[in-house]
Amino acid sequence: MLSLTIDGREVGVSEGTTVIQAAEKLGIFIPRYCYHPGLSIAGNCRICLVDVEKSPKLQIACNMPVTDGMVVHTKNEKAEAGRRAVLEFLLANHPLDCPVCDQSGECDLQNFYMNFGLYNPRFREHKVKKQKAVTLGPHVMLDQERCILCSRCVRFTDEITKTGEFGIFNRGDKAELGIYPGEVLDNPYSANVVDICPVGALTESDFRFKARVWYLSSAQTVCNGCSQGCNIDMHFVLDRPHLNDGARIVRVKPRYNPDVNQWWLCDEGRYGLGWLDCERLTEVRTANGADATWEQALTSISTTLAGAGAEEGGARIGVIASAQLTNEELFLIREIFQGGLGARVTASVPEKPGSSDDLLIKADKNPNTLGATLLGLAGPGAPDAGQIVEEAFAGKLDVLWVFGHDMVEFFGEGTVRELSEKVGLFVFSGTNANPTASFANWVLPTSGYVEKDGTFVNCHGRVQRIGSVFPPLGDSREDWCILLELAGLLGLPLEWRDPKQIFLGLAKAEAPFAGLSYEAIGEQGVEIRPTGSDSGAGERTGAAAP
Amino acid sequence: MTLSDLEGSAEEILRQYEHPKAAMLPLLWLVQQNQGYVSQEAEAWVGGQLGVARSHVREAVSFYNMFHTKPVGRRELRVCTSLPCLLRGAGGVLKQIEGRLGIRPGETTPGGEVLLTEVECLCACEMAPMAQLDERFVGPLEGGTVDKIVQDALMEPGQPEATPEPDPFICSSGPVLSARFKNTEGSWFEDYVADDGYVAARKVLTSMTPEQVIDEVSKPNLRGLGGAGFPAGRKWSFVPKDTTKPKFLVVNADEGEPGTFKDRYIMERDPHNLLEGMIIAAYAIDSHKAYVYIRGEYFRSADRLQRAIDEAIDQGWLGKDIQGTGFDLEVVIHRGAGAYICGEETALLTSLEGGKGFPRLKPPFPAISGLFSCPTIVNNVETLACVPFILRNGPEHFADLGTARQGGTRLVCVSGHVVQPGVYEESVGITLRALIEKAGGVRDGNKLKAVIPGGISAKILTADEIDVAIDFDSLLAAGSMAGSGGVIVMDETTCMVAALGAAAKFFADESCGQCSPCREGTGWVHRILSRILDGKGKVEDLDDLLTITAGMEGNTICVFADAAAWPVQSYIEKFRHEFEEFIRTGCRVDEKEVGACSA
Repeated sequence: MLSLTIDGREVGVSEGTTVIQAAEKLGIFIPRYCYHPGLSIAGNCRICLVDVEKSPKLQIACNMPVTDGMVVHTKNEKAEAGRRAVLEFLLANHPLDCPVCDQSGECDLQNFYMNFGLYNPRFREHKVKKQKAVTLGPHVMLDQERCILCSRCVRFTDEITKTGEFGIFNRGDKAELGIYPGEVLDNPYSANVVDICPVGALTESDFRFKARVWYLSSAQTVCNGCSQGCNIDMHFVLDRPHLNDGARIVRVKPRYNPDVNQWWLCDEGRYGLGWLDCERLTEVRTANGADATWEQALTSISTTLAGAGAEEGGARIGVIASAQLTNEELFLIREIFQGGLGARVTASVPEKPGSSDDLLIKADKNPNTLGATLLGLAGPGAPDAGQIVEEAFAGKLDVLWVFGHDMVEFFGEGTVRELSEKVGLFVFSGTNANPTASFANWVLPTSGYVEKDGTFVNCHGRVQRIGSVFPPLGDSREDWCILLELAGLLGLPLEWRDPKQIFLGLAKAEAPFAGLSYEAIGEQGVEIRPTGSDSGAGERTGAAAP
Repeated sequence: MTLSDLEGSAEEILRQYEHPKAAMLPLLWLVQQNQGYVSQEAEAWVGGQLGVARSHVREAVSFYNMFHTKPVGRRELRVCTSLPCLLRGAGGVLKQIEGRLGIRPGETTPGGEVLLTEVECLCACEMAPMAQLDERFVGPLEGGTVDKIVQDALMEPGQPEATPEPDPFICSSGPVLSARFKNTEGSWFEDYVADDGYVAARKVLTSMTPEQVIDEVSKPNLRGLGGAGFPAGRKWSFVPKDTTKPKFLVVNADEGEPGTFKDRYIMERDPHNLLEGMIIAAYAIDSHKAYVYIRGEYFRSADRLQRAIDEAIDQGWLGKDIQGTGFDLEVVIHRGAGAYICGEETALLTSLEGGKGFPRLKPPFPAISGLFSCPTIVNNVETLACVPFILRNGPEHFADLGTARQGGTRLVCVSGHVVQPGVYEESVGITLRALIEKAGGVRDGNKLKAVIPGGISAKILTADEIDVAIDFDSLLAAGSMAGSGGVIVMDETTCMVAALGAAAKFFADESCGQCSPCREGTGWVHRILSRILDGKGKVEDLDDLLTITAGMEGNTICVFADAAAWPVQSYIEKFRHEFEEFIRTGCRVDEKEVGACSA
């Protein structure tokens, strides 16, 4: 351990810690542009200058290793003068076009000027002209004049994606950021350069002139685009629908989680959430497309289920659940249908694997396959959708409930049509219409995953809470809510009232989740290590409860 | 020649380097020499050869001044308009050449004969005002020579040229470094051996330990003569002994400090002296691979040094098992491509590794982690050229030639308003006043106005501050620095505002652009000075210049920003009255008319 003093406060850090990291430990913020904890040290912006006693020159905190007994000042006159000078240099050629810059409001040139600048501008010369509004690729736009050449994006494409698109060309104050002429910035992680750009040089095409950032609300959640479960912040507007053509989600930003996605998010996940605001199912419908109430639907469905469940020990009910559902919902499905009614239940469908890489993107595009597996609804030992469909064809099922899947895609339209005729009751519940829904006797609109609380288990065994970003759209309901109501109608004694309580019940029942609660999962999740045949409690690592 | 025809040569080049990306500059040179410019197709080809993204090839092409990205004239005429040349009338020369050729800098004559470029210091200030026609330096461009160079520029390359071979004063009587400078065609191996050449290397390889060598070099305080003045022996001693990594010796022959032109003479006229110094240094640090990074414009230096390397290999003085001693040393010449900053030792290493010449964060220092992350010693040409003398004649003899804290002599480069500009080998104890007298005094009987003692970066001294010795410590105590030994003399006709404008333009042109204070500060300072020269200055600009440069100084990765700040600070401090007068009277001069002072 090394001990140092920053602004009069002492802190112990391990060997190899830099001053900027030590300051963070004390909650002292040292401004930075080029420094990014996920990238190599460039040391070029110079805004993190601090005064280190016994060192004649100011030192950059990002590259200054702590030595024992070091005394650092981040707020004395010398350090402040250095920072102010650097900021003045950075703004010398900056176009100051904040009123039309999408970064405005979350720009570190603005922020640091207010915190560390506040000098009287005296730059009276002509500014260097460079290119503006350059389209780099499908998601990213460049304004060379706003760029402060911190090289974060260059290091990102060199070190993280290893695609090497960016370069800083020319030298001196003619240096400019760009990509190779004729090339397109379209690697699977391209939009991350917008997140790490500290200024308005790289902006999202998708967000261009859409909204001032201060009108955006933000909530923490998890991407459901694949089984990696990258942590995200969802930025949305509810009270200014004109800003975003009525859509609630305005943009998605990765949220730091050292054990899942670090600082990054793939473009597929970032731009894959349009379905939450588009062509949603918002009303309960019957087979002929007529509107109905939830009460009508659930009463009717529960009556049929009770009848079918009474026969042959319940084997005449088939449920095709989904790894898109939360653990809480899958647990309820299992308790109600398998446990209560003796139905055949699976969450395993014949999906084709998607694209994948060795950074974040996983071939399994479901966020909760491992959760479903731990609950016995997928994986070895569990039936799969094909078996249930076969049983239905063989006339062994009276009721089939499909959670969200497009069975037409898996089995073909003819099969699904025939299937719907074979079973007495075909229920489809889901967020968006699909060809399968048109064959159902009942179509139940359900909430998108950000409209409800619950947990997923990612492919590495990390239980993560998805939170609830905003309320369900229209008349749609959370799956857990539908399931609890159904249980009540079926006369099954479930005492839980919300996902938090359901999870506690699940944790009590399922060894890998033993001892867990939403408090314990926290904002960053907890890793559980299912021990396979060993039935002992899951061993866990990772973030502790807040 | 098509790119695929170059593949064999490329393969040969790649074999010389430990890491393929390091072949960036040689491959770009290969392409340009064969195709005239570096096309997009060629950038892709080079990227493919090196395993580097095209964007990074483009970064290099755009960083170094000497590469062209589109077809240009069959010849190139580079006219220097750096301060030492401006002092001797380069502004007018450029105008004349523009007039004769009918083009502006950056343009090629309509017939495709010649591309005219205006360049920063080519480090040939002894022949100022000067220019470079393709690979050849020409100067001084006075009287009829301007016509001749225009005539040559329009001719097919390879024809006999009208412009005479420059014949500046180059001393050849110095005790340590210049004795063989009399061989204007370059000393051959036999010349060198006849002068006790390779005696020191033989002694070192056969009878001394590396520690003894370091000790011998340390005793007389041989200082780094590239400009920093760091004790060479101490630098060598920093190389870790317990490492399994290879160690590298890198010779800094990227002579670029305006007003400096000494290393070129060592390489062109006495290259074996450098090679012998390298063998000794490599032995001292246990290195078996040395690179000599020569600035791109020094074509002849590279040719002469290569000639000497080939001779040394033939004579068993380089390669495997040198002189049967079991010691190996391979030497590779690596050519720069036009970037002053590559003279900064860590920028040189980044450049040698195939990147833009960006200085590196320290620590780690190169001696611990330098070229290819291996222990590396970077020494200036002149420093290494002193080493054989020390080992041959003894450290005491070397020490006696200098001062207590800096042994030996220096090749002092005197340029500007003296009667006889040139290279003078002098004890470091000589004063600036005595030196100027040696150079014939101030031209035309004019009064001395100011002296820059150590290259354009050094703080300026006024006419009454020149009774100071030129060693590192004395000049530091006098508030300036010995730097690279480039002494630029200014007489009473010099306009200090225009002189500072020229210096500011140099730093703005040459900033690598990495650190914000330097990138933005050099450009800002240059623009303010241009505005002042254009008659639109305000007196408060002078205080702004001082505070802007204060914000640059000490706040960047390397000392380039400091070097850019010092002239501004010292010119304004020492000649403030002249600056204020210039602004107050609404004076207006052409940026290039440095010698037009009426104040």
